[in-house]
Amino acid sequence: MRIIILNFLYIFFTISLVYAQENLKVNNIEAKELYEELRCLVCQNQSLLDSDAPLALDLKKLVLYKLEQGLSKEEIKEFLVERYGEFILLKPTFTIKNILLWVAPFIFVLFGFFLTFLFLRKTPVSKEEVFTLTEAEKEKLKKVLNKDIIE
Amino acid sequence: MRKIYLYLPLIFFFILVIFFARQLILDENPSKLPSVLIDKSFPPIKLNQLSSYKLFNAKNLLSSGDPSLVNIWSSWCAPCQIEHEFLMKMSLEHNVKIFGINYKDDNKDAIEVLKLNGNPFYAIGTDEDGTQVINLGLYGVPETFIIDANGNIRYKHIGPILEYDMNNIILPILNKIKRE
Repeated sequence: MRIIILNFLYIFFTISLVYAQENLKVNNIEAKELYEELRCLVCQNQSLLDSDAPLALDLKKLVLYKLEQGLSKEEIKEFLVERYGEFILLKPTFTIKNILLWVAPFIFVLFGFFLTFLFLRKTPVSKEEVFTLTEAEKEKLKKVLNKDIIE
Repeated sequence: MRKIYLYLPLIFFFILVIFFARQLILDENPSKLPSVLIDKSFPPIKLNQLSSYKLFNAKNLLSSGDPSLVNIWSSWCAPCQIEHEFLMKMSLEHNVKIFGINYKDDNKDAIEVLKLNGNPFYAIGTDEDGTQVINLGLYGVPETFIIDANGNIRYKHIGPILEYDMNNIILPILNKIKRE
């Protein structure tokens, strides 16, 4: 009985694994890379690889077809950007137009360092100086203390 | 004033408030993609004929000498059915030449819709496998393009054309192009 159950479980799990593999299988490595770099325009924060939207399937088919025709990855991306705009690229291009997008994080970090520097500089570092009273001050203190005690 | 840097987070916060308020007030839908094809010529696409309806091709798109609409629709697309009424209105009352691209549809269903709700299209072409409209940057139906007399794309409307869109967006743009 135990063996039958184990066998059943074994078959059950291997089948589902095979199925999952089948679903993910993309023969063409270049195509897979492209799918990952392209945005599904229907579910807009998914890549083509993740998306099963009909348009994504069509675009995947198109990418595969273009690769088979011998177009390079860059050419295919260009083809799609010409039609859908740069939004279809999940990773924005490094151009003058996008420079702020790329550089802003570094600007913020530098700004943070600058602020830290300012803050640290303006806060006096407590030096362990010993302040002693002058003779005149000692006299004055004595007087005040004595007066208080008398009163 | 010496400690102005202590106020920097607050200043930064208000800049963010302005930034977000702009998006809220302008009510621009960021998921709507602006077309990159604006002011470019209508791309050559190969469409198939739907039954005995006049076939939409590059020739009859340029034939009118007036700006026209190219509407991408399907029988299975609910917003397209809502929009249909206004396409009819524009075609009949405002004499707008509308070209239809039937997207990933069953010919029988498409014909049935046209028989049931009327045919607003001057000419129709079908794109059964959805490969041709990729050249137009289509990412959902319905989408409508305004094409000027020279065959250049002037505007792209994403989603259904409702009464407001017809009166306040589509017709004014058509009139503006006509006056040029």
